Amino acid sequence: MIIENSLPVLLSRLDFAWITSMHILWTPMTIGMSWLLFFMELAWLKSGDERWYKLNRFFEKIFIINFGAGVATGVTMEMAFGILYGPFSQAVGPFFGNILGFETITAFMYEAGFIGLMVFGWGKISKGMHLFATFNVGISSSLSAMWILVANSWMQTPDGVVLKDGLFQVTNWWHAIINDNFVWGFPHMWVATVELALFVFASVSAWFVLKNRNADLFIKLLKPTLLALLIVAPLQIYIGDSAGKDVADTQPTSLAAMEGHFHTYLPDGKPNTSWNLIAIPDVEAGKNLFSIQIPHVLSLLETHTWNGVVKGMDQYPVNERPDVWVPFYAFRVMVAIGFALFFVAIWGNWLRMRGKMNASELRKHPWFLRAVVFSGFLPFLAIWGGWWVREIGRQPWVVFGMMRTYEGVSNMGVTQEIVWFVGYIIFELVVWSGAWYFFTRVIQKGVNDIPHSDTLFQHHSEDHDAAQAGGGHVAPTFAHKPMMHSDR
Amino acid sequence: MELSSDIVRIVSALSTWWWMILGLMFLLYIALDGADLGAGIFALFSKDEEERGAIMASMAGFWDGNETWLVVAGGVLFGAFPLVYGSAFNFLMIPLMLALWGIISRAVAFEFHIHARSSKRLWGWAFAIGSLVAPFFAGVSLGAVLQGFPMKSGIAMSGIADRGFTTPVMHYAGGAMDFLTPFSIWTGFGAVIAAGLAGGLFLCARFLPGDVIHERAKSWTNLFSYLALIAIVITLVWSYAIFPWAAAKWTGPNWWIWAIWFVIVLFFAFKSMTNHSMQHDFIALLWGEGVVVLLWAAMWATMFPYIVPGTWTVQAASNPANSMAVFTLFMTGFVPVMIMYNWYQIWVFRGRFTKKSVYGAH
Ligand code: HDD
Ligand code: HEM
Ligand code: HEM
Repeated sequence: MIIENSLPVLLSRLDFAWITSMHILWTPMTIGMSWLLFFMELAWLKSGDERWYKLNRFFEKIFIINFGAGVATGVTMEMAFGILYGPFSQAVGPFFGNILGFETITAFMYEAGFIGLMVFGWGKISKGMHLFATFNVGISSSLSAMWILVANSWMQTPDGVVLKDGLFQVTNWWHAIINDNFVWGFPHMWVATVELALFVFASVSAWFVLKNRNADLFIKLLKPTLLALLIVAPLQIYIGDSAGKDVADTQPTSLAAMEGHFHTYLPDGKPNTSWNLIAIPDVEAGKNLFSIQIPHVLSLLETHTWNGVVKGMDQYPVNERPDVWVPFYAFRVMVAIGFALFFVAIWGNWLRMRGKMNASELRKHPWFLRAVVFSGFLPFLAIWGGWWVREIGRQPWVVFGMMRTYEGVSNMGVTQEIVWFVGYIIFELVVWSGAWYFFTRVIQKGVNDIPHSDTLFQHHSEDHDAAQAGGGHVAPTFAHKPMMHSDR
Repeated sequence: MELSSDIVRIVSALSTWWWMILGLMFLLYIALDGADLGAGIFALFSKDEEERGAIMASMAGFWDGNETWLVVAGGVLFGAFPLVYGSAFNFLMIPLMLALWGIISRAVAFEFHIHARSSKRLWGWAFAIGSLVAPFFAGVSLGAVLQGFPMKSGIAMSGIADRGFTTPVMHYAGGAMDFLTPFSIWTGFGAVIAAGLAGGLFLCARFLPGDVIHERAKSWTNLFSYLALIAIVITLVWSYAIFPWAAAKWTGPNWWIWAIWFVIVLFFAFKSMTNHSMQHDFIALLWGEGVVVLLWAAMWATMFPYIVPGTWTVQAASNPANSMAVFTLFMTGFVPVMIMYNWYQIWVFRGRFTKKSVYGAH
């Protein structure tokens, strides 16, 4: 129970939750997809197969829209810290501020330097340079995720600092950067981005097969995507499990919330080893009003022993306990999705092994295709779930064990917060619906109007005058429309 | 004793150094994005969507790179001066929010204008209005910061019981509307005028002479040159009147430096105007940017040793020694590299346009 939770504090939290949740819808796709685009481009250059080029340019359109939305919501985040959590930003400045500063400079700036080349550079820079640009977008956006995870993980396990003169002063940079939670948190996040992008690819491909449009082209993509997922999906489950063990060690209150685990010992004095499948938690009363339990599973999961002791809520003072509802169910949704996605990957590869991976056979399995289309949405939900577990499980601390959330909020009145909140609800929804509208349009339009790559590059080999390096009076190449040739 | 005084000296040197980098980042943002924001203000008066589209296309490929400097300035502020970041943003929540919405509606419009068919007009307007709103509120924020803001220590948010929470860190203690003063509103207008001028010069340089847009941009630039000169004078006089820290410097013992500086500014402005009238558009743009650089540097120098006048000094607001040192070690190599590849990107997309080559080709 978070006793300091007055209305203005609650509003700040909800507001921040809304803003971060909307940002995290976009950026994982940027990260994951930039790598997939890189590999597609590489496949095109290696094999000369025009189909890879087409697919690349098609998904690039989706990438760009997504990227724009990521930037819009990201700049919002950068301001939100200072505005909603001013005192927090000040206190954590010596570490957290530095890290976000590193991130801005080594990741955003880095990315901004190459994304323009990647998106608008087709035909203006050489193929090799373009591939290099795409590669750098992949690296830089992954670096971005790394630094952000350093910062956020440190809030979960604040190693390497002391609180002195009201500031979190760093005593050991390595410990602070490679903090406990980061070790599994970052791989889990990064793999999530790849899994998400793969499923978005698979989902779009399956949709085209289902609609019988360019089916062969998209099956060409579907095959390696599903194969990659056969590795990525279980890997994500494994990493998630390790992350859970880490949380059990470092943030037992968070673990207790996420498992709805109130009592450390049973009335007879034996350790309570049961895992709750479903529960109706009552935090005030410190117990579950109802639950379906499976004995020993909790101990197995968290300690890898049959009867290991897992600390429950009752080991901690009431004012250090987080809310249970959200972490408990968000966690279950994430785990269910993790396994569901693995299942879809197995299903696909099984069909492939039996030689069903071609247009006519696949159409005899519409349920498989529908399941894949639907799976494209699930990773987004899992990512939300994971973050909600993490952020709400940390309460009532903003820096675990060191700084309370209420100590970190800015000086604002309730009206002010409501105005701001409503403004950002509208704002983010506009971004979201705009992006959604254009995603659907791009997908509806399909791949047929993407011109052959020769139209871009043939001039290059013939006349490499200065203008071809990008200067001169050239028309800009729009993302979806290479135009180098049109005005010559 | 020896060592600790050395450390103090190094840290104060480092924080001054980062304060200058911060100034440079803001300057890069203003100088680069100012031009495309201004072009957006120009587009407010465009008669058709084709022209707005052409203007938008003329900055495709680097407007987003330009905006990154703002994000970087934010990152440097948080990384080196978190005490300012956490308090000034609280103070500026409303103008920053509105400036942000301006910037974002532009960004979103960029994205969607290309793809849209029936909603092109809507996005064209979102682009143009966003381009006006963003510099206005950025200017308001600047003016407000120059005036300083009230702070207190302890718990920041009023209305929650203090559970023995103490901290020596000073938090923002004023209200949401404290930023709004005649002076800050004026600086908002000043920023719009400055952006408008930069945008005019940019469009002249970016479109071929004789093109419709080029023609209109020419007379626009003439008008805004005069507006800008008037605005500079008004701002200087007003600042002199209300800011003792500025007055003390400008008419202090070193008054002659400021006077020479002012003459140099006038010279740059003059060169920009003459080059403009001779249609040396790119050169005119460069002289114009020179004016921005000179004025910005003068403002930064006037504020020293404050980062927020009367509120935070550079020393008091900077991070503890070891954070400053790590930040410096880590970053100093990166900044020049980043400037290099961002420049490469501008280079790749250089060249002139006509309204038709950009738009007619569809
Ligand atoms: C595609 C997305 C995805 C999938 C399928 C999963 N997760 Fe996850 N999970 C995330 C995406 C994610 C995330 C959004 O990336 C989080 C939030 C913060 C983080 O580091 O990763 C996360 C957090 C997170 C946490 C909280 C860590 C903390 O509080 O610090 C745990 C314990 C797990 N995950 C465990 C699992 C398990 C056991 C899974 C499968 C069976 C699983 N996750 C599937
Ligand atoms: C990695 C970057 C992130 C950082 C540094 C961060 C930091 C914060 C901070 C400072 C707060 C407010 C203080 C608090 O309530 O403890 C918060 C709250 C919250 N954040 Fe995050 N966050 C990050 C990412 C996310 C993401 C990606 C999501 C969701 C998808 C998310 C969801 C939430 C939620 C739900 C809350 C409210 C929790 C509560 O108050 O009960 N966060 N986060
Ligand atoms: C809570 C802290 C966060 C802050 C302050 C933040 C801030 C920002 C900002 C300012 C941008 C736009 C930068 C630009 O102009 O390119 C951005 C974009 C981005 N963010 Fe975040 N963000 C946060 C959380 C996250 C998280 C949790 C992730 C992913 C794991 C992430 C990954 C990215 C990526 C990859 C981009 C660039 C690509 C894109 O815009 O789609 N960020 N973020």
